[in-house]
Amino acid sequence: MPRLQWTRATSATLLALVGALSLTACSDDDNTTPDSGVKVDAGTNTDAGTDAGTNTDAGTDAGSVDTGIPWDGGSAGTFSCEGKAQATLNFAPGQEEALQDQVNTLAECTTIQLAAGTYTFDNAITIRQKGITLVGAGKGAKGEGTGGASSTVLVFTNAAANSNGLDVVGDRFTVSDLAVWNAKKDAIRVESSMDVVMRRVRTEWAQADKESNGKYGLYPVKSKYVVIEDCEAYNAADAGIYVGQTQYAVVRNSVAKQNVAGIEIENTQYAYVLGNTAQDNTTGLVVFDLPGNPIRGTDIRVKNNIITGNNRNNFASVAASSSTVSQVPAGTGTFMLASRRVELTGNTWGNNNTVDVAVLSGLTIEPNPALWDAAGGNFASSDVFIHGNTFQGGSGDNVDNGNLSPQLRPLGAALAALYTYGEQQGAKGVEHLVWDGVDPYNHARAEVNPINICFADNTLPAGTVNAIADLDLVAAGELAAKGNFAGGWALTRHYPATKAEFACSGFSPALTIGDNIR
Amino acid sequence: MSTSFVNPRLSVVLLALSLAACGSSDPEVPGPTPDSGTVPDAGTGDAGGPDAGEPDAGPVDAGTDAGAPDAGEPDAGPGDAGPSLAIPNVLSGFGLFTGSPANGGLVPVEGNVPYTLSTALFSDYAVKSRTLYIPPGKTAHYEPVAALDLPVGTLITKTFAFPADLRKPDQDVRLIETRVLVHQPSGWEAWPYVWNAEQTEATLATGGRTRDVTFTDLDGETRSFRYPVPSKNQCQQCHHLLDGQGNQVMHPIGVKARYLHRTNTYGGVEHDQLEYLASLGKLDRLPAAVDLPKAPDAFNPQAADLTTRARTYLDINCAHCHNPKGTAGVTSQLFLNFDNTSVFNLGECKRPGSAGSGVGGEFDILPGNHAESILWYRLHTEEDGKMMPQIGRTIHHKEGSQLIADWIDSMTPKTCK
Repeated sequence: MPRLQWTRATSATLLALVGALSLTACSDDDNTTPDSGVKVDAGTNTDAGTDAGTNTDAGTDAGSVDTGIPWDGGSAGTFSCEGKAQATLNFAPGQEEALQDQVNTLAECTTIQLAAGTYTFDNAITIRQKGITLVGAGKGAKGEGTGGASSTVLVFTNAAANSNGLDVVGDRFTVSDLAVWNAKKDAIRVESSMDVVMRRVRTEWAQADKESNGKYGLYPVKSKYVVIEDCEAYNAADAGIYVGQTQYAVVRNSVAKQNVAGIEIENTQYAYVLGNTAQDNTTGLVVFDLPGNPIRGTDIRVKNNIITGNNRNNFASVAASSSTVSQVPAGTGTFMLASRRVELTGNTWGNNNTVDVAVLSGLTIEPNPALWDAAGGNFASSDVFIHGNTFQGGSGDNVDNGNLSPQLRPLGAALAALYTYGEQQGAKGVEHLVWDGVDPYNHARAEVNPINICFADNTLPAGTVNAIADLDLVAAGELAAKGNFAGGWALTRHYPATKAEFACSGFSPALTIGDNIR
Repeated sequence: MSTSFVNPRLSVVLLALSLAACGSSDPEVPGPTPDSGTVPDAGTGDAGGPDAGEPDAGPVDAGTDAGAPDAGEPDAGPGDAGPSLAIPNVLSGFGLFTGSPANGGLVPVEGNVPYTLSTALFSDYAVKSRTLYIPPGKTAHYEPVAALDLPVGTLITKTFAFPADLRKPDQDVRLIETRVLVHQPSGWEAWPYVWNAEQTEATLATGGRTRDVTFTDLDGETRSFRYPVPSKNQCQQCHHLLDGQGNQVMHPIGVKARYLHRTNTYGGVEHDQLEYLASLGKLDRLPAAVDLPKAPDAFNPQAADLTTRARTYLDINCAHCHNPKGTAGVTSQLFLNFDNTSVFNLGECKRPGSAGSGVGGEFDILPGNHAESILWYRLHTEEDGKMMPQIGRTIHHKEGSQLIADWIDSMTPKTCK
């Protein structure tokens, strides 16, 4: 296994790294000599807290469970096309202008059939009607910016500034079997709509690693009953597949590669993320809530996904950005922040250079709790159940690919600083599961795992010693910033997969998301 | 800047060539009640909006209709529903103008009243001329904050044009598009008409079009860009407020008393525009002149203090979305309507809900520091995915961006941390 690459970093460098951690707000103190003699005793943690999270907010979401609505691409919402006239309009390449005109006067429940080939648009396709189906001849293959005999590619390379590809508001919208190429902003944006289906769709930008690429590939937001399946998303400068502020979403059998975030579930209730492949992104799968957003994300099931090799350098737009994904270090398999009631099972993680799974408090991006009030103070993470997964190894040995930036990606810089010291003490890289140790409910530090993270029945690489880390990031960061790396490292806790407090069996009520899906 | 020449017979550009103007039509300010003229679905009443007198056809199809009725929610409303106006294929089909730019000028017919806004929304430096047609026998009602309550049958036109040189705004002017807002029994609709190369007619272009534009700006610089004529559906991105069910309902933006309360020349005589409409019998419930609200010319330092002018600019350019009943406002909690009194919701030390890509700073407004204020960055940049407003602007408005920079810099500096 390759070792951490910055072992020889000077203490001054480490000081700078940790000092920039936004949470610590520590001063440059006199005490700059690392106390290198003190070793961590990973076993000294008290087991006092056995309440398995009952002091947290874990149980307060009871009732907000999947109500059993079988959203699976049908019409679960209030609008239906059954019994209504359902016209079909046919278009071929060269008829883009006619298509645009007709799109703006569509009757309800119209199907737009696009023959194979390449369509070049100078503006977004803006749909504001219910019951619309947009279907092409096929999504083609990655890298194809022109349609072939059996593919339909919508090209927006020279479209009006600031325009999306497809821009849709309308219940019961379906898009399938086409590709959206080089959209200026988002490739397919569907907003405030019920019953949204995206099936066999590819969204792509021609060039990799371009900050100026569009931000989102498949982007349903503020919607209800969303299905994304058999889709592909490449080279988005934010998220390839993004589900935001939505209730009831399935993301299934899809592929996200070369994006900053492969698949992103944000401020969403009841999402089922099944059988997807998220590789070669900066971070494979992200589940988080942002502050100020009225939907409190909860009840997310992540099952049977492959989340490996997400080591692409972060190319999200920064410039002192407030963008959350721009702060994620490269090599992050799965990133959860301000998330609750999340179950991860049957997934495969490996070769993610920073960490396979990170669980963080929302306070790491917005320390003012009042700004989280819109969704009832949803900054805390709690109730994360990680079981029956496979960790292949090769992860956690090259945080942020060694390209550390305390200003832009403070988490990566802090991890690197701590583990650089830790490595000197015999640690073997970042564990598979890292919790930042920020407990918003101020449990006694003696209490282990107060937010109820369960880690059970996972397959780990041979020879694994520790699988779980509780960083106590704020306190450790403060000490490290004072030059006391030994003290900082001593505050972090490292546990084997068998640690009793993490060997719990989930949360109650258990998720039933997906139980109704065939 | 600015100038405004008001003469209905002026050749191409009808009136008031207010240079700093608007994007899609003129923004909507939230106000306590939406313009009840376009009432939402589902029998939701006007929430206090005094729609009285002009009962608009009741439930409307949330503006998304395109002629397709909102199934199951019939137009059961009382009153003057009547038949919808058939939308002509060419602008001349409305009968709102005589002549054409190529032939003596596009002249509004009697009853199609030209008007000018005291501050208008910026749209790539296009010069705009506007007219308001209220059908015979009908009357609009005054509203103190929201857009005028305009009866069914009202037609609002806005014509976008570019002079070859902005410093000579009435010479070598080419018309690009005329947008027509139609108050149908089912609610407002927006229809774009694109002028032909000969400048003899504008043809309905429901899907929008793009046109290459080159002009010389006020500093003598040549600017070239592709001007997008928005599609019918895109009009709704700006022309909307959310109803009680969260549906976007189409509304006019600019026809608000505070922007209309200024003089214009009619028949060679100067009149206050509101009073003129009232004198024609087209506007009632008008309060005494002293009680009329007035938005200043944002670019005239003599007209108002810096804060008032900046707030006016934000109000007309941004507040149609950034208000408590606009989608962007709901999402971002950034309220730029002039009557918002919450400093936090105005953006001071406020972090964006989900900013997306890099936008120059951590806070919407960092007092004293425009360069690190997201609000300024978004209206200054021309980068895809970052610039605001979302449509209606391709190039940036130097003067507007400077106004907002000056305003933010005039605030007492804070760290916001």
